[in-house]
Amino acid sequence: MLCEGRVALVTGGSRGLGRSICKVLAREGARVAFTYATNDDDANATLAFLRDAGARVSAHKVSVLDKAGLTALVKQLDAEHGKVDVLVNNAGFGQVVPLALMEESDWDQMLDTHVKGAFLATQAVLRTMVREKFGRVINVSSLAGVKMMQAPVHYATAKAALIGFTESLAKEVGRYGITVNAIAPGILDEGVSAHLPPARLEEYLRHCSLKRMGTLDEASEFVAFIASNRSTYMNGSTIVIDGAV
Amino acid sequence: MDCTTCDSPAKRVDRPHLFFAHELDTCPACEVKIEARVVFRDGQVVHLLHCTSCGPQERELGIDSKSYIQAFLERGKVPDGLVGDHLFKTTTSTCPQCLALVEAQVVIRTVKVSGPSAEGVEGADERRVFFLKDCTRCGPSEALVSEDAGYYVKAYAFAREGTEPLKFRSEVEHGCPTDCGTCSDHEQHTCLPIVEVTDHCNLECPICIVDNQYSTHMDTATFSKIVDGLIEAEGTCESIAISGGEPTSHPQILELVKIASRPEIGRVVVITNGIRLGKDRAFATKLKELGAYIGLQLDGFSAEVHTKIRGRDLTDEKAAALAAIRELDLPTQMIFVATKGINDHQIGQAVDLFLAMPQILSLNFQPVAYTGHGGGTFDHDPMDRLTIPGIVRRVEQQTAGRLTYTDFFPLPCSHPQCVSLTYLLTLEDGTSVPFARFTDFEKYGTLLRSSATLPALPEVEEALGDLIHDVFARQDEIEHGPEILKALRRSLDQMFPRKPLTAKQSFQVSERQSKSIFLHHYMDRHDFDLERLRKCCHHYPQIDGRIMPACGFNMFHRGAAKGPETPRAAFSRPGGRAPFSLPVIQ
Repeated sequence: MLCEGRVALVTGGSRGLGRSICKVLAREGARVAFTYATNDDDANATLAFLRDAGARVSAHKVSVLDKAGLTALVKQLDAEHGKVDVLVNNAGFGQVVPLALMEESDWDQMLDTHVKGAFLATQAVLRTMVREKFGRVINVSSLAGVKMMQAPVHYATAKAALIGFTESLAKEVGRYGITVNAIAPGILDEGVSAHLPPARLEEYLRHCSLKRMGTLDEASEFVAFIASNRSTYMNGSTIVIDGAV
Repeated sequence: MDCTTCDSPAKRVDRPHLFFAHELDTCPACEVKIEARVVFRDGQVVHLLHCTSCGPQERELGIDSKSYIQAFLERGKVPDGLVGDHLFKTTTSTCPQCLALVEAQVVIRTVKVSGPSAEGVEGADERRVFFLKDCTRCGPSEALVSEDAGYYVKAYAFAREGTEPLKFRSEVEHGCPTDCGTCSDHEQHTCLPIVEVTDHCNLECPICIVDNQYSTHMDTATFSKIVDGLIEAEGTCESIAISGGEPTSHPQILELVKIASRPEIGRVVVITNGIRLGKDRAFATKLKELGAYIGLQLDGFSAEVHTKIRGRDLTDEKAAALAAIRELDLPTQMIFVATKGINDHQIGQAVDLFLAMPQILSLNFQPVAYTGHGGGTFDHDPMDRLTIPGIVRRVEQQTAGRLTYTDFFPLPCSHPQCVSLTYLLTLEDGTSVPFARFTDFEKYGTLLRSSATLPALPEVEEALGDLIHDVFARQDEIEHGPEILKALRRSLDQMFPRKPLTAKQSFQVSERQSKSIFLHHYMDRHDFDLERLRKCCHHYPQIDGRIMPACGFNMFHRGAAKGPETPRAAFSRPGGRAPFSLPVIQ
């Protein structure tokens, strides 16, 4: 198994891509802890689903904007498992709104959840990773942060910021055996892409070489690979998973 | 969301040309005088002809479409000082006595109106459109076609190309309307299929356009076959209407609703007079549970009006039906058949009710069509009747300007003379603003192109995106600009929430973001226009697989009364008269 012995923290793991990442990491042998912000029902459903599949998994209701909560969670996981060596910064959301109708609060919430959330979660786990001189930080960006496509401006901005975050942090912490990488999925058939306006989906499929949306698991498999010992020299990279757009 | 890894359902394609009008021409081969379809193909004007002797023919006119439209609209301008009729164009209509297809001159005539004009002036001159016909058997006749020549002429500028069904149901042999249908010469697919599931009714309406025989309830197997055939021909349908007779009198009506509730069909509408709905709450609850929509016939608010057009006082029954709709939050389309001198003074009241009830998603005004068992013999004057402009004027006059004449535009999905509509955006405070107040429908024609509702189609979304930016840029110039932007933002939030909706949920949320008022002028023997029938998109699917355009079916194929002197069809009438044969153009 790719991730045997790993202790992984996945933010925003109760549904969509986060849930799939938890599933694949657990399947590959990792102990998985995921966070969620509000929806207990989704979290419990995910927990039950993963446990039924034999996963060693726990759910924690803590916002990625709650610095103290994240610190406490990492401390708890460290105490239970002796380390947290994989962090997947996945928490985020999609929102269909043109710039003309965007409120300042929309902008702040989008940037905060994606970018500030990644910063706070990374800072919380970094102590244990530096101490262990090993870590895998994997940021979930998007094709919208890599190339021009019809996506809400605040969403594309946040996802592009995560790529800057990835590259800069990789340079900064590489000396401690910590790699920092990002994945940039194109449109997936569930998760934040699931309610895209038909026009955007049609445009995407018109340009996508594989002529279909990706699946959640097709993106999650890369996360498991990056988290594993098979991936040792890739650092500061963004892997685009888009069927060739 | 559709699975893109599976085979997607086939999609309908646009016609290879834009159908514009009919014009008389001669067959290029045998030189017989026949009517041509004027179409625009690759920017050029082409006449498409079907000669019963020589088959399909075409003639290129060597004129570009823009110049043709400009010249066509110029023909609608009445020269200064003209006394008498101004000939705008010709078309094919029907003799009101024998129903033979006859040439009609479409003329603009200045008349002195009785009562207030559009501008509220008593006894003013107005330019109206009339058909002048001369049947070799029955003699000359005239009929009012539109109460506003300006609207009538300009409507042609809204013509857009139609869409083809996946499968045509008949061959072109004798021409329109004999070959119904639909044949490959028909210019629009089926936007609204109407299935008549029973010929039983609990009312005897003096203006009824059908001819109920009280003999048959369609069985479920037949209905399933019709729905299957419809899906085969169309792929998907935004709506299907279950009609009659009175469909709620069908003993298996709920089963029929279930059969029609397929993923390929957006909404199932039960067209009803509302009597059972108001009386039988368990039945209404079941309709709600099945996700059915109500098409409520409601065209009067007083005992006198009900009695004159529906045969008896229905005031209490209609109130009970509305109570059920409110209580169960039943999505409803309201249908108001407008008859001059009888219920046209209650048009504003209908608008008020529509605006006050969130459950009523659309209001459909229909100028009465003098056809069928009731309508065919209903007392009327073909020279002084309601048409679309007359109803819109009454909407303006009776709503104190909340809605105005300029809020309404022709819907080019069907022929532009058939339907006029306005969309209304619901603001945060519950009031409504017509889209025309903050957008230019001529500029964003896509919003009008496909349907009487705003479907989540790529081109509609793009047009809505353009509209949002347009309003954003001009918000200081537009009355209620910021409130409109807030409403548009609310619509986006509800239509695209963080937790994705199912396709059905998304559809239901989308249709509650705006309301629509549309006016649909069904034709009768006086104002029948073959050109309009050519692009009809409200169709009656038949047991034998044919899908017949509504007015052609009502006038030629159903077998209903066409008028006092017109023979009736024999089918479904035990011991009836000789089989009805279709008339041909003279």
